[in-house]
Amino acid sequence: MRNEMTLSFVAIEENEALARMAMTCFITPLDPTLEEISEFKTIVSEAVTNAIIHGYECDGTSLVTIHAIMDENKVTMTVQDEGNGIFDVEQAMEPMFTTKPMMERSGMGFTIMESFSDQLTVESTVGHGTVVKFEKTFSPVTEASSMR
Amino acid sequence: MAEINTIDGIVVVTLSGELDNHEANRIRSTISSSIYAGQVRAIIWNLERLAFMDSAGIGLILGRMRDLVPYNGETVILNPSATMEKIFNFSGLGSMIRHCTVETALGEIGGVLHEK
Repeated sequence: MRNEMTLSFVAIEENEALARMAMTCFITPLDPTLEEISEFKTIVSEAVTNAIIHGYECDGTSLVTIHAIMDENKVTMTVQDEGNGIFDVEQAMEPMFTTKPMMERSGMGFTIMESFSDQLTVESTVGHGTVVKFEKTFSPVTEASSMR
Repeated sequence: MAEINTIDGIVVVTLSGELDNHEANRIRSTISSSIYAGQVRAIIWNLERLAFMDSAGIGLILGRMRDLVPYNGETVILNPSATMEKIFNFSGLGSMIRHCTVETALGEIGGVLHEK
């Protein structure tokens, strides 16, 4: 099946859960395994948290936008903010690198996103914002499970 | 949600629900306070009932390991899900993972279970 969605919400921490929940519902028709669900949820959570706390510093007014396309069993998703942007994307993607150690950010977000998705690209301009794009292909829906 | 019990100098933190950045910020100081309450020699993170965790969990656990440094305290990560285990392994915390009951973990650290 083909499906497409857009979700926008203001930059408050409470919306991390909203984004995870909405995106989990979006992939439900793919009949994902529990592990696929939790890996996908983690990707969403990391990207959205970055946009909220790094992009917008939890300003409560600016919008984070998720856009997702499902094409058969492949999901392409972008998480976009028009906030601070990342000064050095390559450095930001290094494991354990964080600009917010005082907030106990582990610096593992991008490592996790890279590991749990098939493809990850990050485009960022300082002062203009960041777009993180993922692709994840889910295991094909078997006949037995589609009969359910 | 975090349920915290201190048993014979070992803080047992039982987490449930979803641990993200928002939740970590909500429970951090309570967990730290129970460490600073004194004479703590270990912390056990019981994740058996935790439905979801992202990298905020890593930050939370690393931060409490720092709290434990003055006490030379040990950290045990108990019963994480397969996805969580991957996240811990990426972060170099894989060696702290144990799959057993809280009682067994307490026993291994040398805690004595007191009857209530």
